[in-house]
Amino acid sequence: MLPLVSLTLFLPLVGAVLILCLPKPTARTVHGIAITSAALTLVGALAMWLQGVSSEGFSQVEELEWMPAIGAAYRVGVDGISLPLVLLSAVLFLVSLIYASSLRDRPRAYVALILLLETAAIGTFTALDGILFYVFFEVSLVSMYFMIAGWGHEERQRAALMFFIYTLLGSLPLLLAILGLYLGSPDPTFDMRAWIANPPLEGAAAMWALIAMLITFAVKIPAIPLHTWLPAAHVQAPTVGSVILAGIMLKFGTYGLVRFALQMTPDAFREAGIVVLFFGVVSAIYGAFAALAQTDLKRLVAYTSVNHMGYVIVGVAAAALTLDPAVRATALDGAVLQMFSHGLVTGALFFLVGMIQERARTREMGEFGGLLKTVPLLGWFFVLAAFASLGLPGLAHFPAEFQIFLATLGTTPIAVIVILGIAIIAGTFLKALRETFMGEPRDRWSEMPDLSPREILAVAPLLVLTVATGVAPSWVLDVIHRTTSALVL
Amino acid sequence: MGRDLALLAPEIAVLLTAVGALIAEMLRRPRISLVVAVIGLVVATGMTLRLVGTDTTIFGGSFRIDTLSIWAKLILLPATVLSMLLARADVRGSAREGTVYSLLIFSTLGALVLAGAGDTMFLVLGTLLTGLATFALVAYPDTDPATEAAMKFFVFASVTTAIMIFGLSYWFGASGSTLIADLPGMDTMPLAVILGFVAVVVGLGYKASLVPFHFWAPDAYEGAPLSIAAYLSVVPKIGALFALTQVVRYLPPETGWTAVMAGLAVLSMTYGYLAALVQDNVIRLLAYSSIAQSGYFLLGILAVGSSELALPSIILFAAAYAAMNLGAFAIAATTGRTLNDFDGLGRTRPMLGIAMVIFLLSLVGIPPLAGFVGKFMLFAAAIDVQFTWLAVVAIINSVLSLAVYLRIIVPMYRSGESASVATDPWHGVVVITAFAATLIIGLAAQFFLV
Repeated sequence: MLPLVSLTLFLPLVGAVLILCLPKPTARTVHGIAITSAALTLVGALAMWLQGVSSEGFSQVEELEWMPAIGAAYRVGVDGISLPLVLLSAVLFLVSLIYASSLRDRPRAYVALILLLETAAIGTFTALDGILFYVFFEVSLVSMYFMIAGWGHEERQRAALMFFIYTLLGSLPLLLAILGLYLGSPDPTFDMRAWIANPPLEGAAAMWALIAMLITFAVKIPAIPLHTWLPAAHVQAPTVGSVILAGIMLKFGTYGLVRFALQMTPDAFREAGIVVLFFGVVSAIYGAFAALAQTDLKRLVAYTSVNHMGYVIVGVAAAALTLDPAVRATALDGAVLQMFSHGLVTGALFFLVGMIQERARTREMGEFGGLLKTVPLLGWFFVLAAFASLGLPGLAHFPAEFQIFLATLGTTPIAVIVILGIAIIAGTFLKALRETFMGEPRDRWSEMPDLSPREILAVAPLLVLTVATGVAPSWVLDVIHRTTSALVL
Repeated sequence: MGRDLALLAPEIAVLLTAVGALIAEMLRRPRISLVVAVIGLVVATGMTLRLVGTDTTIFGGSFRIDTLSIWAKLILLPATVLSMLLARADVRGSAREGTVYSLLIFSTLGALVLAGAGDTMFLVLGTLLTGLATFALVAYPDTDPATEAAMKFFVFASVTTAIMIFGLSYWFGASGSTLIADLPGMDTMPLAVILGFVAVVVGLGYKASLVPFHFWAPDAYEGAPLSIAAYLSVVPKIGALFALTQVVRYLPPETGWTAVMAGLAVLSMTYGYLAALVQDNVIRLLAYSSIAQSGYFLLGILAVGSSELALPSIILFAAAYAAMNLGAFAIAATTGRTLNDFDGLGRTRPMLGIAMVIFLLSLVGIPPLAGFVGKFMLFAAAIDVQFTWLAVVAIINSVLSLAVYLRIIVPMYRSGESASVATDPWHGVVVITAFAATLIIGLAAQFFLV
């Protein structure tokens, strides 16, 4: 029996080491190795998908002794909450490397960082050991810092510094929470399965641990008021950096919210649920309004992420508040599917904005007009992705947001005002589409080339999956539902 | 007696090595002096391996052969070898080459005596032995800055050591014994216990460069040759911190010594990093960073006796600290003394750049590097004895430290020509060894969790 999870997890790292060890490789070889290892990783993720998950606990678990003296071990495995995110990571990193294959500025270090980040991402989603989780969580931070600092735009140093310090400050409380869970366990262990089966903390200790976790994950998600690093990092990050940051790394926060906060301190979360719900609603609405106010396309997409992640928080909070297992399953189904959909849609949007910027050297909406006629393929792709993002039925976000609202309505009806966010986001995107793509084409952009095969290869898979998830969400939902329906809190 | 000497074999081997290195120098054969020194220390390390797991005392309880003193040898002897290899580039061909090696070993012997001290007289002996050897080491280049640094160092050390001896006389007077293990019997005279403890903290605190006894450190590091600064920041410091651990194990908790430790930890970490934040000289920056790192040790030290995690965390962090700090100093030795010297290092010398990034991130405590597991265990020990607030302070300081170390990392990837000088091949060996140790201690921490 192949250790599928570990293979999938470490394949990108092997690729990165190979690239760094080759003496003076050409850019072609570097990109070739990178794409091959990412493709093999996707094969691994698909094989994991075919193996599926069982309804109880974690499946495909692999264990290896690491530090038995303190109860830490190498433990990985998946359930219905993490498996879709693993698949999402494998897809997004592969298309990111395809998109990056035209890079000629120090490609070796760049793709090595992307591959390191891929291992960190899959590791974060599959880790079943507290220390291991934290290790992957932090490694992703370091690689993203170097990516922004090395290959970002003009103000990259400042943005990278802010990103690094902000998120490190954010993630250290999690370390305290992990230590608290460890010291609180009757038989001290870092096994996350044990923490989930028998939440080790109760009372005030659990509440403090929950607060520490909420700080960490709120920075990562990012939720109001800890979101200020996000626009700066996105605006300065290279395109692939933005895609991974929004598509994958924001999910570390929402995934942690479910895996740690909800599953390991369930009682405290139930008590604090209404506060979390409040922050979720505020995030969603604030993100939508902030997006409406942007004139820079990339910032606009960045703020829609704050809005979409706000819905995930609302879903998780609803799951904590409700006492009805069916409603809880619906809420979590929606939240997890929302993470998956957001990765696909926002990934595609950031790619398309990056392509526009590469061509025009600007992202100001006011400077464009009529792009649908000059670059029809790019234009229609953007329209499709934008409609998906505003929650059009038949596209990926609709089934997710629908379930979240449904569950919220059953728990705390007042929170349904969050639905306003959808209207505002719709307005935002329609305004952006009108200013950028509609109307008469301007002369200065008449020479703009349409998508190259490389760019189509990067975006098309995401859009195909967006439609597939929107039309027939059951292929993902079935996996998610198997775990969420059996969840005991 | 025979048993005692057999248990003391590694220390005796270190002493003989120091003498051997000195004799070779007298015969004007500095190369042989280095060879003798390296082989002697490697043999002594090997002899120590045989002792792992022993927990006993010798010479009537005055010297301890326990986890701490054994790990002190396993960490400090290799660290001394690396320091000698670093020093070789500085002293080769000079009239003092063999003397430097010999003095380094004498000083290490002092640190080992400190780490195993079961008797207050060993505290004094160890402090003096390390002190005398290191004054000479700082002063040997015979330049004005070196002389000034040695002078400051000497005056500071004399005063603090005198205070320590003065305080220890109270312990002796109160308990009628110089054994540290007899301290709990002095419940009747709490004032004497406290006076003695404060004096010990002063004496060992200077050696470990804890705030507020740190004033000598940045000046001495800056004036001394870089290899000696690297050595000072690792070997005597770890020796003193281990000695402090040996003392507080027996202190009655009513004296409130844990609060003193917590206060010193907060001061050292916070002041160290804040001061490092405004330095333009890399050596001073690293000096203040090493002051802050001493503060982290105290998180483990204050848990000694109450938490099983305390000793493993101190030892693990000591090993991690030795590796990453020596590595960072070794790269600074090949690059230059100001932050500008690091401009473009990551582009012109990519491998050296990656190594420096790894050392600095490990000093911050980023997983999966050595510094992370060390700090992680220290935090766990502190929380285990209800010092959660201190762990929170330490964590906030870790964020501050990121800002400090990024001041070196950021220019490394700026465009620019690094003024990298031609390097001694042994520097490469030191960097590679420290690099491997930083990764291995991080990934295979199991072996240190005794």
